[in-house]
Amino acid sequence: MSIPLVDLLGLSGGLFALGIFGIITRRNFILLLISVEIVMNAAILNFLAFAYYPPAPGLGGVTGQSVAVVLVGLAATEVAVGLAIVLALNRLRGTINVAEAIQLKL
Amino acid sequence: MGLLGRRFGRAVGWVAVFFEAGALVSGFYVALAEMGAALPYHDQSFVWLNFPGGTRFVMGTLVSPLGALMLLVINVVGLLVVLYSNEYMAHEEGLPRYYAELMLFLSAMNALVLADNYLEFILFWELVGLCSYLLIGFFYKKPEAASAAKKAFLVTRVGDVLFLAGVFIFFASFAGVHGVGPITSYPGTACPSSPPGTGPTWACSGFVFAPPNANSAAPFLAPGTVTGDPSGTLMTLAGLLILGGAAGKSAQFPLHTWLPDAMEGPTTVSALIHAATMVAAGIFLLAITTIYLGFTPTAALVILGVGGFTSLFAGTMGLVSPDIKRVIAYSTISQLGYMTMAVGAAAYLVVGPGAAMFHLFTHAFFKSLLFLAAGSVIHVVGTQDLFKMGGLRKAMPITAGTMLVGALALSGIFPFSGFFSKDDLLSLTYSATSGVPLGFLFFALSVAAVLLTALYIFRLWFMTFGGEGLREPPAPHPGGHPSPKEGPGASPSPLHEPSWVMLAPLVTLAAITCVAGFLPLIPSFAHLFPGLTWSIFGYSKVGGAWAFSLSDLTLSLLSLSLAFLGLGIAWVFWGGGRVYRMPTGSPLRGLHGILQRRYYFDDAYDALAVHGILVLSKAMDWVDRYVIDGTVHGFEQGFSRLSSRVRTLQTGIVSNYALWLVTGLLVLVIFFLYGVPYLAPLFGGG
Amino acid sequence: MNPETFAFVVVGAGTFVSAALAITAQEIVHTIIYIGAFFAGLATIYFLLQAPFLGLLQLAVYAGAVTILLMFAVMVLRKRIFAREARTALSALPVLVALLLGLVLVDLALRAPAYLPGPAYGVDTLSQNLFLVNGGWLLLLGLVMLSALSGGVYLARETRSSSVARETRG
Repeated sequence: MSIPLVDLLGLSGGLFALGIFGIITRRNFILLLISVEIVMNAAILNFLAFAYYPPAPGLGGVTGQSVAVVLVGLAATEVAVGLAIVLALNRLRGTINVAEAIQLKL
Repeated sequence: MGLLGRRFGRAVGWVAVFFEAGALVSGFYVALAEMGAALPYHDQSFVWLNFPGGTRFVMGTLVSPLGALMLLVINVVGLLVVLYSNEYMAHEEGLPRYYAELMLFLSAMNALVLADNYLEFILFWELVGLCSYLLIGFFYKKPEAASAAKKAFLVTRVGDVLFLAGVFIFFASFAGVHGVGPITSYPGTACPSSPPGTGPTWACSGFVFAPPNANSAAPFLAPGTVTGDPSGTLMTLAGLLILGGAAGKSAQFPLHTWLPDAMEGPTTVSALIHAATMVAAGIFLLAITTIYLGFTPTAALVILGVGGFTSLFAGTMGLVSPDIKRVIAYSTISQLGYMTMAVGAAAYLVVGPGAAMFHLFTHAFFKSLLFLAAGSVIHVVGTQDLFKMGGLRKAMPITAGTMLVGALALSGIFPFSGFFSKDDLLSLTYSATSGVPLGFLFFALSVAAVLLTALYIFRLWFMTFGGEGLREPPAPHPGGHPSPKEGPGASPSPLHEPSWVMLAPLVTLAAITCVAGFLPLIPSFAHLFPGLTWSIFGYSKVGGAWAFSLSDLTLSLLSLSLAFLGLGIAWVFWGGGRVYRMPTGSPLRGLHGILQRRYYFDDAYDALAVHGILVLSKAMDWVDRYVIDGTVHGFEQGFSRLSSRVRTLQTGIVSNYALWLVTGLLVLVIFFLYGVPYLAPLFGGG
Repeated sequence: MNPETFAFVVVGAGTFVSAALAITAQEIVHTIIYIGAFFAGLATIYFLLQAPFLGLLQLAVYAGAVTILLMFAVMVLRKRIFAREARTALSALPVLVALLLGLVLVDLALRAPAYLPGPAYGVDTLSQNLFLVNGGWLLLLGLVMLSALSGGVYLARETRSSSVARETRG
């Protein structure tokens, strides 16, 4: 009748993998953030897919949409903090290349 | 406020005065509306959180007689203190911070007394505690002030934990009875267990206690209404835990140690927070809890005992302190003890806590008067040491006069307000304890404390204002003065009265102190003190007619004569500029030492904390040394070789870490998704 | 193939392609344009999934606010606005991992049982659910946002020490 669940989950999974690919290959901090956003949005899409196709009464449905709303807020917050970190990083080190910010190294 | 403060500069204090005056006007409006109201409780609330299973958390405001009374006290004292601060604090650094914290405190305190359930109450309770911490540590560069602030915070935290536990018990016990529990009040909800004729409002709300009913104990919950706790043991436990919270906030034995140290804060803060309002929050908590305390006589008696004991205990320590502010702080603890005792007595007799609230009301005014007068002395002389003062009567007649009014009221001498409130409170306690020998002992202790009260407060007054002149010329850089830098007000000579900004609050408070005792004669005002029987020399007004009680008269005369006796002793030892120093050979010398070390309570707490942690850490050390290290050394060898190879994998680049993370996760997922279903049959599994 | 499914396939493909372009673009400004398209495409999919509130939220928060925020961040780092992503040689492992991950997820999607669509919900039902049943989560989100706000302000402010450090560094 309408969009098949498989398509939705497939798109969500593909986006998720794409985001992960971005996270593990990119070196620009802003691109890293954008990749994380793609991953988050893949997850939100997944929630909405199951909100549309509730697996059982009480699961999915409107609760799925509620969780999605909360996630949207969370992801937006994360972008804001991430950009603040980008600014701080740029100010302190003059670069936003994560390959140069290697303080985590022992 | 703090952000805007820099722009206002010195005018920041006047901005604060303006807003506080606004708060006072609205406080008066609410209180007047409450006095004339037919229904005593006005609740406005909404459901904050709604959990499955019927549990609801409600936020809202509840205007009750007690709350309206507290509103008056907080905002009158608050306005005068903020006004007074404009001169007293004028030369300090960080004024915007000071006023911001003060205003935050005032708003939190106002919200506290208007809270309509325990959860909301706890929120604001913690907020006032935080403000107290910040303001005690206002001179944070002074190590004593910083450590006093920490101490106040930690000691009250002990009480808060107990309080929270008590509220949990209430919540768990009443959730079954009222559906929502006493933490919430929900207007319009019918209460299944409310006794007939009491209406729907009171029993649903943890805060509303029933109007006193002389005929029966009906307004209070009957024992056995609590689910699964027919004997009321749980309620007794909850009552004692609530007492713990109140003791922390109101500095009752054995959590009293923080209040004298809190005097490291500015005197204005002491007057507002540690005399009139925040420390009274503990009493207020007990007062609003009387509905539950009413059916646990055990808890009520314990509360009574703690209060009675504290009143005498703190008074003895006040006798020897050389610091003008600390003497007043001890007297605050002692007076709070009286109030605690009165709440216990009211709960035991199952009447409203009006007597305690009346003493709270009068005490707030005369105690902040004493603090502000002491502050003006400190401001002028530049020291807090009583032994260095003297003869200030001539230089500062208005301060001396107003402080005398405060001292007379504190001692309970007719016709000042303290006389009436202390009298009503003692007669209530007498009627509660006359049949209980142990309770009567504590009552007797508190009567003895009347003598001590007069003694220490007049010792203070005579040492400050009596005699010919300062016993010790003020130092060029006054060490006792809290000001880090010397302002014009702190200059030693000539001694003079401060300006009207500081005198006006003193005079106002003195005037209130003179008349406050008679205020319950106004019927609508007496409405704010449920359960109070106002009496004067044995005559009391019961149901519109005057009644006489011989025991009340005896009690009045007894306490009055004790107060005069104390005054007389003080005159003998310290009057006319005499300074009594205990001879070294005196047998009382040991006692004196104990009192000056404050019964070794602080030392005991320190020792307990320090040694306890020391023993614990020694045990930990042993375990660490022999059990863990032995194991670790074995592994260490192997891992140090391994790690030298593995560390080359660490690039420090976040993306690479993410790569390994994802790879590991992927391996696991693939294993469980495809590997396990394939392998399971091989191992005979399903 | 009914019109809805058709629309989904078109929009979904566009969304995926713009996401891929965003990640691989050389100029960061292009990345931001692609990511805006990606967010808008997702919003359309939400509308198709009968979640209009989420769709609007996605448009407002992501396609609007977040995209503009990213643009601003790039503008603030002015000298880097045309910075190209360093063309590092892609090693085999990341590509392999991402491909495997995608394959696993698609395989999982194929195994999903055939659920039936539930009843459609209005915004009123959603808001009731959000504020009453899931109120705790919303509260938690508020707390997280509050702390993130203060943390963000702290990080982004120009501190005296850092500017001094920059001056001394030259």
